[in-house]
Amino acid sequence: MALAEATVFAVIWAIVTAIAEIVFRRIKDHSMYYTISSQGHIALSAFNFLSSWLIPIFTFMAVMVIFALVRFRAPDNTPRPSPVQTLRNKWYILLWVGVSFALNIMFWLHPTAVDLETMFANWKQQQNQHPLIVNVTARQWEWIFSYPQYGITQAVNAQGLDELELPVGRPVEFFLRSKDPFHSYDIYADVIHSFWIPAFGIKEDVIPGETRTEFLVPDHVANYETSPLVRVQCAEVCGPGHPYMEAPLSIVTAKQFSQWIAHQKSLQAQGA
Amino acid sequence: MRDMAQAEPRNHLEPKVLRMAPVLRGFFWAAVGFATGNLLTLAVDPFRGHPWVTEPSAVVGWVGALMGWLLGVGGYEEIILPLFGFPSTWVEPQDWRRYFGLSTNHKVIGIQYLFSSSAIFLIAGLDAMAIRYELMQPSMHFFTYSGQYLTAVGVHGSLMMFGVGTVAMISGLGNYFVPLMIGAKRTVFSRLSGLGHWLLPAGALTLIASPLLGYWDTGWRGYEPLAMQDPGGMVFYYLGIFAMTLSTIFTSLNLATTIIFYRARGMTWARIPLFVWGILTVSLLNLIWQPEIEMTFVMALLSKLVPWNFFDAIGSVETYLSMFWLFGHPEVYIIVLPALALWNEMIPVMAQKNLFARDWAVIGLIFVMMLSGLVWAHHMFTNMRNSEMFPFAFFTEMISIPTGFSFMAAIGTLWKAKLRLTTPSLLILMSLFNFMIGGLTGVYLADPPVNLQVHDTFFVVAHFHYTIIGGMIFTWIAAMYYWLPKLSGRMYNETWGKILAVWIFIGFNGTFGQMFLLGLQGMNRWVPAYPPYLKSMNYEVSLFAFFLGVGFIGHAIHIIWAWRKGPLSSENPWHARTLEWMTSSPPPEENFAAELEVVRGFYRYDHDNPSAYFVKDKSEST
Amino acid sequence: MDNQEPSGVVEQLWGRRQIIWGGIGLGAIALISLFAKPDIVGLTRRLAGSPVSSGKINLYQFDYYFIPNYMTWRVGDRLEVTLQNQSHTHWHEWTIGRKLNLAFFQGFGSMNADAWAIDFWDGVDVTLSDPYKVDNFVPHEAHVTYVGPKAPYQIASGGDFSPTLQPGGSLKLTFTVPNKPGIWRFGCFVQEFIHYRDGMKGLIEILPA
Repeated sequence: MALAEATVFAVIWAIVTAIAEIVFRRIKDHSMYYTISSQGHIALSAFNFLSSWLIPIFTFMAVMVIFALVRFRAPDNTPRPSPVQTLRNKWYILLWVGVSFALNIMFWLHPTAVDLETMFANWKQQQNQHPLIVNVTARQWEWIFSYPQYGITQAVNAQGLDELELPVGRPVEFFLRSKDPFHSYDIYADVIHSFWIPAFGIKEDVIPGETRTEFLVPDHVANYETSPLVRVQCAEVCGPGHPYMEAPLSIVTAKQFSQWIAHQKSLQAQGA
Repeated sequence: MRDMAQAEPRNHLEPKVLRMAPVLRGFFWAAVGFATGNLLTLAVDPFRGHPWVTEPSAVVGWVGALMGWLLGVGGYEEIILPLFGFPSTWVEPQDWRRYFGLSTNHKVIGIQYLFSSSAIFLIAGLDAMAIRYELMQPSMHFFTYSGQYLTAVGVHGSLMMFGVGTVAMISGLGNYFVPLMIGAKRTVFSRLSGLGHWLLPAGALTLIASPLLGYWDTGWRGYEPLAMQDPGGMVFYYLGIFAMTLSTIFTSLNLATTIIFYRARGMTWARIPLFVWGILTVSLLNLIWQPEIEMTFVMALLSKLVPWNFFDAIGSVETYLSMFWLFGHPEVYIIVLPALALWNEMIPVMAQKNLFARDWAVIGLIFVMMLSGLVWAHHMFTNMRNSEMFPFAFFTEMISIPTGFSFMAAIGTLWKAKLRLTTPSLLILMSLFNFMIGGLTGVYLADPPVNLQVHDTFFVVAHFHYTIIGGMIFTWIAAMYYWLPKLSGRMYNETWGKILAVWIFIGFNGTFGQMFLLGLQGMNRWVPAYPPYLKSMNYEVSLFAFFLGVGFIGHAIHIIWAWRKGPLSSENPWHARTLEWMTSSPPPEENFAAELEVVRGFYRYDHDNPSAYFVKDKSEST
Repeated sequence: MDNQEPSGVVEQLWGRRQIIWGGIGLGAIALISLFAKPDIVGLTRRLAGSPVSSGKINLYQFDYYFIPNYMTWRVGDRLEVTLQNQSHTHWHEWTIGRKLNLAFFQGFGSMNADAWAIDFWDGVDVTLSDPYKVDNFVPHEAHVTYVGPKAPYQIASGGDFSPTLQPGGSLKLTFTVPNKPGIWRFGCFVQEFIHYRDGMKGLIEILPA
């Protein structure tokens, strides 16, 4: 009798968990969200890893709540002492405290420690692979992209709006600065922005007076038509223009990229 | 009552008649104070521009208004006169009118706080409905300007955080029940506490009035350097929150001192109720962190008015962010600790079962309190240096361990219980479920690589609404039902209570559950306009949000109805054992008729003699 | 209780009605001041009409609105507009015209953009004076006379006739209202058109002579 309740609970929990894990794996195969960069894959696999470990904890609580509603309810609201009176159960406490320490330390080591190490090591490696350098200037409320290796100061699309274009498979180093190059009397009068490309799985705040870097390798040819997650989006509130601080992004083949660079150069020559 | 024939000499003791309600008198003197401060500033301001209210003049005017308000509600008679050696001339009317002026009775103050906090919840909730209505379409269709939308977001967040989250359970339920639960007849700093309540509506009204000075964009965090260049409404954000946090500090100072010094005989640390532990830990958090954020806001305000350039590219942007989150994360636990404590306060009563592992439940509260100051930088993974991610990820993971102890005790108590499935029980089970989702999604956010993707998206919005609404608001409503017979002597309707509980559970999970997916699909925060591919899910979220809003209003109506017209309840309908149930309902002015002596803990249901279990009348024992 | 009551106490003589009416009154004041100001201004203007500006006009720029945002001019009047930027942090321009240009934005479709299709100042004679902290000034098709040295005017090209002022800047524009009666709009398009989108705009009704 003593174990019967626990056994019933454990069996239900195991079944519900198994179903939830299977469902999650089906969802995961279609990807939780669209990711096309080296950095994004780290985040997505961490997300999936955490999900598969957190599902049993969630189902434990969900099953427990329903179990309590069904098995542990009093027949009516007349106050009478519960037949079972427990003050302590050393195995339960030991298990709870032990498992919660173990799980949290595990999560901290994997994925956190492992991924951070991988991430930083990747960044260092990409920095040494002669990455494509893109200077990203955030100002209220515009992203400005310049390619110093090609002498392009502000890349624009056919409508004259700023755009970002990247070759697939080549490491990129973004230099992120928040300032307003058009207002020479107060260049650093700008605010915090956050450089976010949802499909790249990373965002980095752009802080006035500081220069931040971000490394990644895009691994698919894509644009806004492929997935609306392929866009540059400001993620930190920066004033009334914040929702509109968005820019087109295309990841193209190396050949298309060099054509695009030539086009930008000619545009710039006409403008100057 | 007074013999008017006995003429007294004409001096300051002459009988006075107050023909104006103190709260209205407060408004009058606040208006006079504002006008005076504002005009004085304009008169001496050499750089005055066009408008009649400038940022500096609004600040000075606001100080004048606050003075006028506090003096007008009764601070002049009750506090200023005695401070200068005159006798206090303030006598609270012994009827409903005492709720409309300064009171020194902790139960009156508690109800004042509960009322103000509920009113703020209503306004912030209507604000949220406006936000959700706007987000039903990908382009702006309800608000005219995105500045208006962002102001609505900022006002919603600030009111909920500083006017509801830190207030409803701590200042409302705390003021009312903590003295009762520890067997005290009054609180230590009762006049300070009485004055403190009136800071809350002052602060909330300041925030609500902030759009009059211009739309501000920063959300509840007042991020620099955006705040520095935002229109004048920002000034009222700082001032409003200053008043509201000061109110919380007064409550915390008063309640912590009362818990330490005014406990009944025999109310040892090993016996004080869980909710009292919750209020004590949270009061310590408040006393540490609320002054910190007030100092930060004073600096930010000066930086804006002067300007000082403390927190822009000339100074240090990250310093503001750090100072904000240094308070900002403890704030989350300030909101949720009383809820964790209340689970384990109510479950043993509803189950009539021993509280499982009481010491672990208390240890959990204390360690959450201590760790809460070490996790703040996880709000800044996207803007801090890489080296800081690792240690803060560690502490963020670790804080879930003591939080888990509250779950452990709750589940241990539920296990094999015979739980009476009342409305409070149901809401607590829902709260356990919701808060578990809030906590587990926090594990994702603690992992920096995942955080860098979902930070500043609706994933985070969903996460913290799960902890705050799912954890705190659900438990607050549960506690209102649980203590309603004590507050009013009346009982709610069990059927309606349960229907409404299920109602808000569905509304809540439908609203915020989908927000996790919205965040993963690329919905960023603080936007009244968004790419059209996110529309259908936003539309659904809004429908659920309206459903949820109606549910909250339903609870409010139900509770107000029960409070006034509900069937009369017995003195101790739940057969609870804590001291607040050992007196009449509602309790008399002095709380207890007799001296109390506690002889046993409150969470033991395995004794068979409930009649003589833990209190004895001192007059009988001597 | 009676005999313990200290002398000189405040006796409260007020009732339920006062609280109810006081609350309703204060609530009404709050709602009106928060939500109904534009309606009240519009109603007043409908009932009382808008006075015709003449002589000196002060036009203030704030974040992100103009004061006044509604003016009535008459063809042939000589006006002296003192433009003042009251913002501490943002630069602002002043353009007048008709028909907004539209641009295509990836996530949001066609939205109002950088300028007017018709510039009010085309062919208008205007005298600029007292420049202080001018960010830049685009004369476009206007016939401009500059008082004093030209350097402080920061003359530039591109876009409509638009004086742009630094925070705290000011500039005086003197002109005779040209024979272009009807409704004209004015606005500030700086910083990626967001100032305009966030309400930094106004209307000028020009009456025939």
